[in-house]
Amino acid sequence: MSKFTGEMVLNSVVNYLTEAVGVIAEHDPDDGDHATPGELRRFLGGLRLLKGVPFSYLVPDSRLLPLESIRFFYIDRAWTDALVQGVLSVGTITTADRAQLEAMYPQIRAEVDEAERVQRRPQDEQRLEGNAGTITGFLMRSKVVSGWPNLHIRAYDQDVLPDSALSTVAESHPSRMKVLRQERLAPAVLLVLIDGVPEVVHIEEPRQGIQFGVRHAPGDADSQVRVKVRRADTGAIVPPETSFTSTNSVTVPFRRNAPGVIDMVQLAERLRTTAPGAGPTLESNEFALQMLRFPYRQVFGDPNDLVGVKFYDLDQFTVQLSTAKWTSKVQEFLTDADPQDTRPGGSK
Amino acid sequence: MPLPIPPPPKGHFVLHTNFMPPMTAGGYRLVTSHSATPFPVATESTYVNLAAPRYQMPVEQILSSFPPANAEGAFSDRLPQIVLKRRTLPWERNPAGGTSTSPTPWLALVVVAEGEAELSTPVPVAQCVTPGITLRDAADRDVEQGIYLTVTETVKNKIFPCEQDLPLLCHVRHVDVSDTELANGDDDGWLAVVLANRLPVYDIANDKPVRYLACLINLEGQLASLPPPVPPDNDGFGFQLVQDWMVLRQVRAEADSMIIGNVDIGDIVLPGSRPAGQPRLPRRDAPGPAERPEHSIGLDGGSTMSSPTVSGQWSVATVAVAKAALDPDASYVVRDTMGIGFRNPISVYAKEKVYRYPVLAHWSFTTAGSDTFETLMTGLDVGLLGTVVKPDPADPPTPEEPAEVVQTGHIGLEHRTRRGDPVQAWYRGPFVPFPTERDAPVAGRLPVAHAADQLKRVVPGGREDLGLAAAFEIGRLLGLSQLSIVGALTRFRNAQFGAGRAYIQVKQILSGEPPLVLDQLDVYYDLGRYVALSVLADAAKSPFDVLGPRRPLVDPGRELKIDGDLDLIIAGGLGLDVDVIRKRADAVGIVAALAITSVPVAFEPGAIKLDEAAVAVLKNTLAAEVESVASVAFPATTEPDPLDALLDRLSPREED
Repeated sequence: MSKFTGEMVLNSVVNYLTEAVGVIAEHDPDDGDHATPGELRRFLGGLRLLKGVPFSYLVPDSRLLPLESIRFFYIDRAWTDALVQGVLSVGTITTADRAQLEAMYPQIRAEVDEAERVQRRPQDEQRLEGNAGTITGFLMRSKVVSGWPNLHIRAYDQDVLPDSALSTVAESHPSRMKVLRQERLAPAVLLVLIDGVPEVVHIEEPRQGIQFGVRHAPGDADSQVRVKVRRADTGAIVPPETSFTSTNSVTVPFRRNAPGVIDMVQLAERLRTTAPGAGPTLESNEFALQMLRFPYRQVFGDPNDLVGVKFYDLDQFTVQLSTAKWTSKVQEFLTDADPQDTRPGGSK
Repeated sequence: MPLPIPPPPKGHFVLHTNFMPPMTAGGYRLVTSHSATPFPVATESTYVNLAAPRYQMPVEQILSSFPPANAEGAFSDRLPQIVLKRRTLPWERNPAGGTSTSPTPWLALVVVAEGEAELSTPVPVAQCVTPGITLRDAADRDVEQGIYLTVTETVKNKIFPCEQDLPLLCHVRHVDVSDTELANGDDDGWLAVVLANRLPVYDIANDKPVRYLACLINLEGQLASLPPPVPPDNDGFGFQLVQDWMVLRQVRAEADSMIIGNVDIGDIVLPGSRPAGQPRLPRRDAPGPAERPEHSIGLDGGSTMSSPTVSGQWSVATVAVAKAALDPDASYVVRDTMGIGFRNPISVYAKEKVYRYPVLAHWSFTTAGSDTFETLMTGLDVGLLGTVVKPDPADPPTPEEPAEVVQTGHIGLEHRTRRGDPVQAWYRGPFVPFPTERDAPVAGRLPVAHAADQLKRVVPGGREDLGLAAAFEIGRLLGLSQLSIVGALTRFRNAQFGAGRAYIQVKQILSGEPPLVLDQLDVYYDLGRYVALSVLADAAKSPFDVLGPRRPLVDPGRELKIDGDLDLIIAGGLGLDVDVIRKRADAVGIVAALAITSVPVAFEPGAIKLDEAAVAVLKNTLAAEVESVASVAFPATTEPDPLDALLDRLSPREED
């Protein structure tokens, strides 16, 4: 008697079924088997996220999205379902077509629900699937959108970190919500769709390394800027954090008749006299510390903290090496390799 | 020289004032001589060249720059900066010219606006400094050809840093190498940072973007040319170009006359040569064809060729750089293209002294907008969609009526019916200010609209709500607009609708549990056994139906048939006389009576002779029978076969 394994039995059963299924459904090694063709499914998934829908259908009146505004919303599933039904209605001619469509529609809808979440897949992120839930989002129409490409947008279903935290939680953190779509519809209009109802939304200036700069205080003239002072010994911001006073900020001196040219020596002197704990001189590293600017983060939806003027604080640090010691150390090296003896004035 | 300074923890950085190299760059001669030897020893000279960039910063030494090259954005509150990989780089030369190191760096980052300065094309490095100045140790050059920045004395005095500023503008940063955000691929975690002294401010007055060029220049030998400190201006600044040489764009001169220097520039007023009484600095918007005559070229005898607008130029330059980036020689071409707008031949026309500074690196960017991220974000109008900003009563009344928005998020829009009547209808897009319910399937069916009109709703007021109908219609049009989608839909419908339903059914079947035996796929079975086991497995699931009721452990005995008096029958069977026993029982009781009655015996023991052989046969037969029954009840243990294994596996399954 010929022997065969259980696996062979299973395989032949599976092969038969696959053959049967193969003629009727699509299988994608990345996407799995579906009754709805992948091309159609992905198109409909994109439509669910309103890809390609004319903007006037999204915001029918410009007064709903005035200049310099942000508008949060829920997505009306009935509307997006109607959109999908509109696509599916293409080519239904006979009553039989419609009857078949009605029979298939729950399955198509379920499969398109899955396709929604894979429209945007960031690199190194796990593929997320599941039934369609509530989609929320916001539209922002502001110069921020045009002036700062690559804004960082993060949504959380609970406030897991302080507003001023220097770091962020990982994208895979369970409290962090997936951004389904983030797209500039126009140079100054940003559409963001979020998978779920967030409690807190962070919008952050793009991080492009460490920057140095000045700040414009509310109420000052357009051409006047200030630098907020940090403690020279610890680097901490001098309170009050949210406003500009004469003890926690200095006005930036400019060179006369020269647009934007800062009088560095004067500015350093002003910072030295205003910053608590400063020594007799302000070295370039201390100067740089005072001028440091971190990316600004705007927090929406957090009633416990002040929304708005939030700035990252520096970590407390202590001076490890005095300048005198440093100089002597450098001088040590200089004497070790003294060029004066052996170097006849650059002749060669 | 390794320093015992541990790297800061990740996410942290430490700032240092400077990092002095032991020696400055240049050629050195090591002289070796012996003394106190009985014979003369010739001295030996060894030549050492300490190399450092001088006219061009190698690309691998530049870690990053801010603002990003060719970027457009609101950079007016940030100081431009360039980050260099070698921590000693800004102090490797002495700008004052000596051989000793100096805390004053020899590098400076200057930021010039478009029109203020001229960037040269590559020339021999000896020409890269102001004519009349020769750099010490001319043989020390890293490249043969370099580029330089030409500025007039006025511009230099206004925007170049003072000598006193220079040490403040350079510092050293120490970061952890593994920190990708801070170290950005550096090898040792030590970085030198050179800051600019000028904020790239926005032209607020004219509300125009300004294109800037950031140049990392070499100050060697020209430290004295830097401007002296002047009393600062506390009232901020007004945007004006220090000098606008853009007017030179209008000059169309022959190459010959350019060289000879007798170019006719017509009525163009050059910066630095304004008549008294006029504003000293030219305004950016001043050169307009209508305001004053300019050097013009007639086209077809009539129209005047208009000068390009500034905003037109910067966007052209940005596009040009983006295009140049696609070139195979991109690294050179992009750098060159960034000089667009900074190529006005200032040195040819300027009436005052012009200075040249070698440029080690340069990039351009555009400041477009004066608002900062912070002011914009805090000034945003926040609300749910459907929030309409109430007009300020101070504003003049607008002719248009306020938007008709209701709490549900619907907005009243003009609508023309199919019959042509102009009416108002409600519309609501996909964005609503509150969560909505989605249709749930009823008995596996969902309502499907086949035409937009099915989704029209009429609200009690009599107006139509067209939101969903519009969604249906735009979806249909979007589907129709893509041929591939129409094709996919048609194929789907033709071939796959019915099959799709079959697939769902197959999937439902497949979703059941696999056959029991198939969970251990590595064991061999023969088909007969497989079938038997499958039958067994199924049979074991409901043995009552398949095999019938189970036999009880103990059978009930047969029913006895009794006719007549029980005592009589028993006594008769035992050969006793009932009457005698009854009579005795009356006297002494039934138990004693039975005890004293002797049972009649047919034969006395030993009276009959038994056949010994026959008894032995009977005994053997009995023993064999007992053995047979016992072997069935307790079989001798043998090797378990696969059936046993299966049965073993079967039994625990039945328990649960």
